Amino acid sequence: MLTRGTLIYIAQRLALIAFTLVAVSFLVFITVHSLPGSAFESERVHGKALQLLLHEYGLDRPVLVQYWSFLTNAIRGNLGVSFQIRGLPITPLVMRELSVSAELGGTALLITIGLGTTFGVLAALRQNTWVDYTLTSIAVVGYSVPSFVLAGLGVLIFSYWLPTVTNGVISYPAIWTGSYGTLVELSLPAIILGFYTSGQVTRITRAAMLEVLQQDYIRTARAKGLKSRVVTVRHALRNALIPVISILGPLVISIITGSVIIETIFGIPGLGKEFVESITAADYNITVAVFTVYALLIGIANLIVDLLYTVVDPRIRY
Amino acid sequence: MAAVITPAIEEYAGGTIAREQVGLWRDGFRRLRRNRLALVALIYLTILFLVAIVAIFWTPYNPATILPNTLTFLPPSAQHLLGTDDLGRDLLSRMMQGAQISLIVGVGTSAIVLTVGVVVGLIAGYFRGWIDGVISVFINIFYGIPGILIAIILYLVLGKGLGNIMIAISATAWMDMARLVRGQAFSIREREYIEAARASGARSGKILFGHILPNALGPIIVQATFVIPIAILTEAFLSYLGLGIPSPLASWGSIASEGYTALPLEPFMMLWPAIALSITLLAFNFLGDGLRDAFDPRQRR
Repeated sequence: MLTRGTLIYIAQRLALIAFTLVAVSFLVFITVHSLPGSAFESERVHGKALQLLLHEYGLDRPVLVQYWSFLTNAIRGNLGVSFQIRGLPITPLVMRELSVSAELGGTALLITIGLGTTFGVLAALRQNTWVDYTLTSIAVVGYSVPSFVLAGLGVLIFSYWLPTVTNGVISYPAIWTGSYGTLVELSLPAIILGFYTSGQVTRITRAAMLEVLQQDYIRTARAKGLKSRVVTVRHALRNALIPVISILGPLVISIITGSVIIETIFGIPGLGKEFVESITAADYNITVAVFTVYALLIGIANLIVDLLYTVVDPRIRY
Repeated sequence: MAAVITPAIEEYAGGTIAREQVGLWRDGFRRLRRNRLALVALIYLTILFLVAIVAIFWTPYNPATILPNTLTFLPPSAQHLLGTDDLGRDLLSRMMQGAQISLIVGVGTSAIVLTVGVVVGLIAGYFRGWIDGVISVFINIFYGIPGILIAIILYLVLGKGLGNIMIAISATAWMDMARLVRGQAFSIREREYIEAARASGARSGKILFGHILPNALGPIIVQATFVIPIAILTEAFLSYLGLGIPSPLASWGSIASEGYTALPLEPFMMLWPAIALSITLLAFNFLGDGLRDAFDPRQRR
């Protein structure tokens, strides 16, 4: 499987990701550093004291010099220090938040794919019946209702209208106690995040399944006398899932976008919440660091998806 | 998948079968009319536009004024059809202003995206060479970066305001449009009628906007329609996070955010913007789907 060509392809893609990271972080760095005011504005330091503070954090140097030192440090895994919490190293902070976000996002991704493919297959098998109409309507609602609206309704239902059913398990707002939340703490935010993107998966799976079911080899399989369950799962579903893999990349991006909102609403200490907080607090170093980590995640996710493609569909080679 | 309906009138007089000549627009609208969901969406959006226009001249109360002698969190009543908010302001008036802001941001962003995306895309696709190289590298760098992250950063740099929020959202949204137009220009410029136009001495500008653009219009309209719900959603997100429209102005996102903190006291305040946003986004998506089927039959999903 891992031929020479594939390895060269991976190397090329990694080089491209590295180039993208440098370019994106440069543009973001320049942009956030043109924000009016400094991170120390709220501390009411002026004159000499402010100058000393700026000097200590290297903020009195030209922006390009500052970027260069950011870049050289970032390559060694050092993303700099926070301004707000003076001198707090960012790398461990981001790693901890990444683990929280990954847990939330990973669960949401599983929910999205599980829910989406199941709905899509069921809708395709019962095409133009009430099952089909109901499931496709749910899918449309899924990608049209903003996730913060779903979050609000979810909190409303589970903590006000049904507090006795849930026994107050989902509190308002759900408070995250550890870096690794329990399943219960995760459930509502992850379901909301996953439901939002599942609509796209339902749509794609349904269309792909309908197309595959009309193929000749499905007719052949049926004619051989195979059970319909075997035909559906082994012959049809396998081929219908290829288009689903192709939207995994955009799906990861949607989930990252959604997680920024969901984490802020539910107070989950992940990357998204940190991003919003850092930018309102003018803690530039964190903003740039989180942004770069996001760009890296997306680049790698897209690469993995493209490689998965070759595994699922042997006709594709790089 | 429904068959593409090509209006054909068969005339047996003289034994010839003549096909009625219809232009892109008439043909498209004819197909759009058959799509019931898109039509319902169009009617809803027309009403919403009318509400937004009415809100310029008249709202039941001043949406920004804290009304004297009015309780906060009043449930819907004859005086306040949708109730009052956390400061005792009339929610119907605020929702009407929110509709206005959503539509301005949606349509305005779409207009910016359309202008920038079409011009850049046409230039890249038609002239190719180093111009195309620079533009493509720039677009590819940002490919896949969530637009909302860029929008948040840019909006804070630009400062608060309705115009700036549109620019901040357009900053990434134009790239998809440019990519689409570039691809269209790439393939259309190889057609024979472009060669004919060039041979007859037409200048680049004339070829670009007189020949290539009209032939790529279908997909461009569809893409521009889909930008509207994305912009409305992004604005609502930003306002929800408290990074959006400045305070006395009411946006559906900010009403929802204030409503969220008031959930235990009054679910209505969260419910109204939630319903309005969901239905509006749904309507734009249905309209976009309908337009795609009508004007761009090859792109059907």
